[in-house]
Amino acid sequence: MNGLIEILLLSFLLCGFLLANSSRLMYCIKLVAVQGFLLGFLPLAVAKVEGGSLDWEVLLLAMINIAVKGAVLPYMLQKAMLKAGVRREMEPLLGYAASGLVALSLIALSFWFAQQLEYSEQVVSRLAAPVAFSGILIGLFLIVARRKALTQVIGFLCFENSIALFGAGMMLQYGALIELGILLDVFVMVFVMGIAVFQIKQEFQHINADLLNALKERPGK
Amino acid sequence: MPLLLNILIPAVFAGIIFFLGKRISAQQSRHLFVLCALLNFVSALLSQPLFALTQLGSWLFLDKFSAPILLLSASLFVWVSIYAGGWLQALDDMSRRGAERDSGFRDPRLFPEHVFLSCTLLFLAAMNLAISSANLGLFWVAIEATTLVSAPLLCFQRSKAALEAMWKYLLICSLGIALALLGLFFLAIAEPTQSGLNLFALMEHSEALNLQWGKAAFILILAGYGTKMGLAPFHTWLPDAYSATPGLVSALLSGALLNCAFLGIFRFTQIMPAALLPSCRQMLLALGFLSLLTAAFFVVRQQNYKRLLGYSSIEHMGILAIILACSLSNADMQRVLLWHIIGHSLLKVALFLLAGNIFLAYGTRSVTAVKGMFESMRWNAFLFLLCLLMLCGSPPSPLFVSELLLVFELGPWLGAALLFLLFMVAAGMLHAGMRMCMGTSPRQESMRKAALLAERLFPMPAVAAFLALSFGVSLIFLLIRTYTIF
Repeated sequence: MNGLIEILLLSFLLCGFLLANSSRLMYCIKLVAVQGFLLGFLPLAVAKVEGGSLDWEVLLLAMINIAVKGAVLPYMLQKAMLKAGVRREMEPLLGYAASGLVALSLIALSFWFAQQLEYSEQVVSRLAAPVAFSGILIGLFLIVARRKALTQVIGFLCFENSIALFGAGMMLQYGALIELGILLDVFVMVFVMGIAVFQIKQEFQHINADLLNALKERPGK
Repeated sequence: MPLLLNILIPAVFAGIIFFLGKRISAQQSRHLFVLCALLNFVSALLSQPLFALTQLGSWLFLDKFSAPILLLSASLFVWVSIYAGGWLQALDDMSRRGAERDSGFRDPRLFPEHVFLSCTLLFLAAMNLAISSANLGLFWVAIEATTLVSAPLLCFQRSKAALEAMWKYLLICSLGIALALLGLFFLAIAEPTQSGLNLFALMEHSEALNLQWGKAAFILILAGYGTKMGLAPFHTWLPDAYSATPGLVSALLSGALLNCAFLGIFRFTQIMPAALLPSCRQMLLALGFLSLLTAAFFVVRQQNYKRLLGYSSIEHMGILAIILACSLSNADMQRVLLWHIIGHSLLKVALFLLAGNIFLAYGTRSVTAVKGMFESMRWNAFLFLLCLLMLCGSPPSPLFVSELLLVFELGPWLGAALLFLLFMVAAGMLHAGMRMCMGTSPRQESMRKAALLAERLFPMPAVAAFLALSFGVSLIFLLIRTYTIF
């Protein structure tokens, strides 16, 4: 057990839990930003705790990660929020108290599931996998249980951050180029989604994704 | 080198068209678009294993499975690009006419045409990167990139339906692909060699894969790329997206993009250890039959002809999954897999372009509102029926051969189930097709003019249909020769 890494992971988990409980979009965006920051910081903390020398490649990637996920993406989301003129999620499909309970049970489920797997010895911390799984499930839950298109984007970011956390926590080697590619994809993704939210607002006068239901099977005559 | 050019040519042309923007005329940028498609075709031809070294470092390579797919999508793109010029011109004519008639006319385009063209080229570049990548991580990046650059294409013509379809496509496909990323991480844990997801190393050491993590990785990958490919429980975005977009975009999505996603699953079966193959086979069979069942259920009495074609894509992706499952135990089926991919892509591109023409003429996607196509647009109607028949697997079609061999391979019970489902789909599709072609067409003046415009756009789908026909005929001759030898 290394204190610093566990603190990082547990704060990541806490952010996920709070995301499921809050109605104000600005607060949710800030939570996702903190998640992104923690995610970028994790490899640095690992390098420090293990006492190895800090590779410039690791340092650079961490910096880019922090900049993109902790600052640029939240900024874009905030702009999309202001443009769409939506401040809070008024009527979620599932109430906030119930959402909190669901989030708690999802976390419990992930800890149980992560216990069933066998790990290699180079894992950063035993907490990494369960925290990542909880984040993934909470992200999915947000996408399903919230109405506003913007909250769905926030849920997607939480989902994506947690998958990246899983990669970082398991110390996986897949090359700096791939990592940059993944980051670029996520960046463009949020960019396109932001534009889409604005266009939906223009066309429909609202961004309630559950009302986007014109396309479906109609019964035959 | 041509391997790199495949990716660079469309990307560079996309940049040129984007930055020249409105400084050149629409006509010129359409010409540039076609030029790029032709150059890309030449470079795809040159990168075939016959002519060139098919490996570039540890990043790009082509094998005997991916090389034909690359050539296929390059040639599809040539026809689509030529068609696009005529289609955009027809759209211009129609909107000019609409603007003359009433003053409150609203341009249906959400963004300017050069952005549309450069997004399409970037889409091609990303698909080429996916097809030729030798690293599973790079493949993932490319597939995600295809989603991002094709999302704007979906809502080129502003409408509520198009925006809704785009939102669903963006959200569902990104979620699916993110799951595939998790699958890649699982794979990285499962493989002991630390090869950085390099395909060659993974194939070489496939037997050393950790079984538990490896199986979980395959499930996630199947769900992830299966979403993009439109396999049944994950297919929900597909009919919506296909029904709301312009014909040439759905042609590209269905004819080229689905193959790329399928390639991802195919590559994964290549690196699975022998101990996991039976469970992979079962999962592929289950998803394949579920897709067929879904398609058969929704095709019958379908009221929207573009959704009809979308469900047919789901059907054929299901068949591909079943053929892939069979090829795990019988390597000969890999060739059948390739035949089916080629036949489906050719026919589907032709059909979606024709559906675009029909929409241009009639302005509706409803099967019941389109009547008397034989009267108003004879060539389009003839080709539409021909391609529908071939898509349902009637004899001179390449799909006939692949489906026949698949039924032999599956044995009596599964084979009978497959035939029954295929029959259901064929009945639904032909019912709709006949209904649209027969009867008397509406007599409005505006519709007749639009039908004339659409009738002029028939050559490119005809080329695709002709190629499918000749490919099918040659396959049938091949089949006859093989069987008379035995």
